[in-house]
Amino acid sequence: MARPEDATESRENAEFRREARGWIEAHKPADPGFKLPQSFLEVESERQFAFLRDWQRKVYEAGYLGLDWPAEYGGRSDPHKRQRIVSQELHRAGAPFMVNVIGLQWAGPTILAYGTEEQKRRYLKNILSAEEIWCQGFSEPGAGSDLASLQATATPTDQGWVVTGHKVWTTLAHFARWMILLARTDPAANKYAGISYFLFPMDAPGVTVQPLVKMTGEGGFNQVIFERAPMPHDALLGQLGQGWQIAMTTLTFERGAAEGTGGGSAASAGESVRAVAALAKRMRRDGRPAADDPVLRDRLAQLWIEEEALRLTGQRARIAGLNVDDRPLATRLMNKVVYSEFGQRLTELACEVLGPDAALWLGDPSAPDRAEWPRAYLNSFGMTIGGGTSEVQRNIIGERVLGLPKTK
Amino acid sequence: MTPPRLEVPVDFGFTEEHALLRGEARRFLAERLPIAELRRRVDGGVRLDRDLWKEIAGLGWVGLVLPERHGGAGLGWLHLAILIEEMGRRLVPGPFLGSLLAGVALERAGDDAQRERWLPAIAAGETIATLALVEPGGAFEPDAIVASADPVAGGYVLRGRRCHVVGGADSDLVVAAFREPSGGIALFAVELPAPGVAVEEEISIDPSRPTARLAFDGVRVGADARLAGDGAGALAASLVRGCAALAAEQVGGAESILQLTRQYAIDRKQFDRQIGFFQAVKHPIVDLMCGIELARSLAYGAAAALDAGSPSGEVHARMAKALAGDVYAQAGRKGVQLHGGFGFTWDCDVHLYLRRALWSRPMLGDAIHHRKRLAGVLFGPG
Repeated sequence: MARPEDATESRENAEFRREARGWIEAHKPADPGFKLPQSFLEVESERQFAFLRDWQRKVYEAGYLGLDWPAEYGGRSDPHKRQRIVSQELHRAGAPFMVNVIGLQWAGPTILAYGTEEQKRRYLKNILSAEEIWCQGFSEPGAGSDLASLQATATPTDQGWVVTGHKVWTTLAHFARWMILLARTDPAANKYAGISYFLFPMDAPGVTVQPLVKMTGEGGFNQVIFERAPMPHDALLGQLGQGWQIAMTTLTFERGAAEGTGGGSAASAGESVRAVAALAKRMRRDGRPAADDPVLRDRLAQLWIEEEALRLTGQRARIAGLNVDDRPLATRLMNKVVYSEFGQRLTELACEVLGPDAALWLGDPSAPDRAEWPRAYLNSFGMTIGGGTSEVQRNIIGERVLGLPKTK
Repeated sequence: MTPPRLEVPVDFGFTEEHALLRGEARRFLAERLPIAELRRRVDGGVRLDRDLWKEIAGLGWVGLVLPERHGGAGLGWLHLAILIEEMGRRLVPGPFLGSLLAGVALERAGDDAQRERWLPAIAAGETIATLALVEPGGAFEPDAIVASADPVAGGYVLRGRRCHVVGGADSDLVVAAFREPSGGIALFAVELPAPGVAVEEEISIDPSRPTARLAFDGVRVGADARLAGDGAGALAASLVRGCAALAAEQVGGAESILQLTRQYAIDRKQFDRQIGFFQAVKHPIVDLMCGIELARSLAYGAAAALDAGSPSGEVHARMAKALAGDVYAQAGRKGVQLHGGFGFTWDCDVHLYLRRALWSRPMLGDAIHHRKRLAGVLFGPG
């Protein structure tokens, strides 16, 4: 008793989905012949970056990006919340991710929430078109999980501010035009109240971007040193001293980002378990297809259950009446930790499916799937650590959602 | 065969009516079945409270998903999931689950005369019915049934045994599957007591859910006891719906354990701190919440898929039962543990839920059972 797909969503959404799918199939870029990053965390080279930027621009110009953003800032003011449909279709098609992800998912929504009219007009459209890439300056060598202990300072001058300090894990900093920056503006205030939130120009003098090498051997993120680097008065977002509050908003976007505007990342819902099932059919174990192994089947079936539960949780989070009334935030705040840990377990299982060939690394001609599975597993730690470790996430959920005593 | 596209309506088919039902159920149960009252019944050996059952029937709950023309409320499985989740939170005792599944089986396999004969009385709470599923050895899926129905003049002779029959010792009507000489499965409805049907109360790990063993020892029934329609199909449909319903009940029970444990972690102090301060306590409680939310999504998703007639209903129901069963059992384990010494006592309420969790995990199939079948769908044949 099969039903047409549009029986489960409105006719216009189903029509829109068909259009989006058709467009993506027709315009999805061909394999460029060089190694592509698996996510925005490892964009190393100019040609990788140019390839991804072209793709985002193409998607935006076709009208498939910024659907939920206001039209006056370059979006489409779509009342139907259909960006999600595009994201799903991009992922399903295996299309490249949106390279300006920090702008799209964190800087943009934060500017929409706290920016002045001038700031919104200045920044938002160029985020969508990938004209201007954004990076994030939150973490420091001494301020990771305990972010509020950050030490970078912004000191007022006649022209605005000068920034001195040291930021780390700055993904995309080497391509970025702008940075969302947290800096201390009042060293005397308590550690939360002394922080302000800035939109910092990366071309300022006194800024040094130094690449860091990830454990996969790839580049893509950086540390950024500021030595009295100037920025103008209107670099401030929101009020002076409001930085911590705004940063929490940004992190909520970040932590709820699994349904954002990307394709491709390990945190995306969709067909991932099926890809590992297909892998198990190609690999052999005990002289038979690995897919015949009952233990492996059982473990992958468990992940299939969880993958579908994650997908439905994202869907349910938007329906107030289907969330427990005394913790409406639960399904949103848990998103980051459950998605990232799911992705990690799935890619780890994929490595187990590979058997001894899991020992082969990028570049080996015999590596199954060019060693993308071990690469994805190692990269998965970027998701479970970046944007607040799973451990810190559990503190936040325990305290903000369940009202348990604060750890701080 | 490729896996079915997993279809759940994007809005889950949710309406304000669902929220109203939840509110009504929560208020009624908070008033009538606080945990102290449940304990009074359990400690007093109360197996069935017919007055309460009639009252629940009067609210429309017993016939919730039965058609209006047969005395039911004609509502859907998302309604049922929300209701039984609330019942699970309160460990509502009694034969609800058995009655629910018997109703589904009768509605699907009965002809009009059979439906009219039994369903209105079930919905009204006058007839307590149950679906007897599990054979000795634990099998319950249609292809495994060994109990037999042999045609004789004017009817059939039924032979076989069933165990873990919900409300079996209090039921006025039992529906059960028997294999016919053709090899096919037929459902029979047998009014109790009946000559040749031996009913023996079981000692259940869950005192709030009394069960019984039934032996059909050459029971003669009339031809009209055989449900006219497709017995195997109706049994399979009942199992799928039972999985969806039981999963929602498990979610409700796990939610109660979460609430109890959360409160204890706030109230209890050691080392001069509330124990919920310690991450060794805090994080497992968070993991419990995450597990519950994931299982809840599948339980609602399965119900919504059934309401939409989606071909993914069975896959979703099996997923829901698998995950919710494990989550409830883990909630029970962690809940007892995090209550420390108090958790090990009869006075701590968590074990009441742990008992329900241990009862309901294997019923209608545990996670191992369902994952084996889901893997068959995920990997396809060959």
